[in-house]
Amino acid sequence: MFTKLYSATWGDVGKAKEKGFFDFDLFSWMAWTWQTAAFFIFIALCITAMLIWEKKVPGGSPRKGILGLDTTRGDRLFVSLLGSAFIHLFWLALVGSVLWIATIICIGYAVIVFRYV
Amino acid sequence: MNKTINQKAWYFVIPVFVLVAFNAAIPLMTVVNYSFQETFGNNVFAWEGTRWFKQILLSDRFHAALGRQFAFTFIILLIQIPLGIGIALTMPKKGWGVPVCLILMSMPLLIPWNVVGAMWNIFALPDIGFLGHTLNSVGFDYNFTQQPGDAWFTTILMDVWHWTSLVVLLSYAGLNSIQPAYYQAAEIDGASRWAIFRYIELPKMKKVLTLAILLRFMDSFMIYTEPFVLTGGGPGNTTAFLSIDLVKMALGQFDLGPAAAMSLIYFFIVLLVCWVFYSLMMKNEARS
Repeated sequence: MFTKLYSATWGDVGKAKEKGFFDFDLFSWMAWTWQTAAFFIFIALCITAMLIWEKKVPGGSPRKGILGLDTTRGDRLFVSLLGSAFIHLFWLALVGSVLWIATIICIGYAVIVFRYV
Repeated sequence: MNKTINQKAWYFVIPVFVLVAFNAAIPLMTVVNYSFQETFGNNVFAWEGTRWFKQILLSDRFHAALGRQFAFTFIILLIQIPLGIGIALTMPKKGWGVPVCLILMSMPLLIPWNVVGAMWNIFALPDIGFLGHTLNSVGFDYNFTQQPGDAWFTTILMDVWHWTSLVVLLSYAGLNSIQPAYYQAAEIDGASRWAIFRYIELPKMKKVLTLAILLRFMDSFMIYTEPFVLTGGGPGNTTAFLSIDLVKMALGQFDLGPAAAMSLIYFFIVLLVCWVFYSLMMKNEARS
């Protein structure tokens, strides 16, 4: 699965791929890379964190935010993630490089969303 | 009395989870994986980073397709919503006319999408089609296979024919749920027909109309089959809406990476609009 980590360069295109320990035929067709795997693990961790938070403070802390919408914690996570996607896309379209600055903006955006929306 | 807490019923949700994983989550994850890589088939992939996203976001082709998509959705909403409300207002409220109207209205909704496309294709052909031939014989220079304007006209007409019924049925249901007392009160006050519509019927239909707009937005924003069969995105690329352009890129050119990036951007736009509509609906719900 993660052997792409070592073989993901142009020099290896067309070469027969060595079968790694994690290369199960069941999902090797999904073309995993460690970056995208890390992304989905991050999403899974977010959901797990929300579950733990919900166990600690049940009820989802609903409130009426600055947008005038009734939101719960889950809504705020959704808005943060969707907004982050758009921030990254706009950054790519308008600036194009040093994407990690967009990521930092997204963290700030998520904090604002969780506090005020 | 102590209530026993038994959460075992959640296990019944497992089949749905598995189903959604196989038909939605896993393919979507694969699309994410593809969007960062280049492939020439044979299951060999090379890392490309955010290149495809940048390419799609800056490509004139994507901007054009997105523009066409928004224009199409906007035009059909502008036609179908008022037309649907209008038809619902003129439909009979009781008697034998009700089932006749309802069945007539639901007919277009029952026809498979590719059949609708094929029907309208033959119907509109300029040489042998009824619509095309008639228009040409009365002096219009109509040819939807060659003139972009005609292609748009036909596509919009087809969508209006196919989907206005949905708005009609929803509005009709909304109208029927209004208590007679409102109309009696309006009559006593001597309210005009317009005032009745503006201050009684329209507010009472608000919920179903939001639903109608949301459904029509979603369906028209993801439209594929009908224009594919009718015009195939042509002439040229003039009716190539987002999904048609996407399929051209993914299957026609086998550009899996850019196509995956494009479908993710497409998906985010749909998600955003859905969220906005959903929030507005919930806001209205909370107020009323």
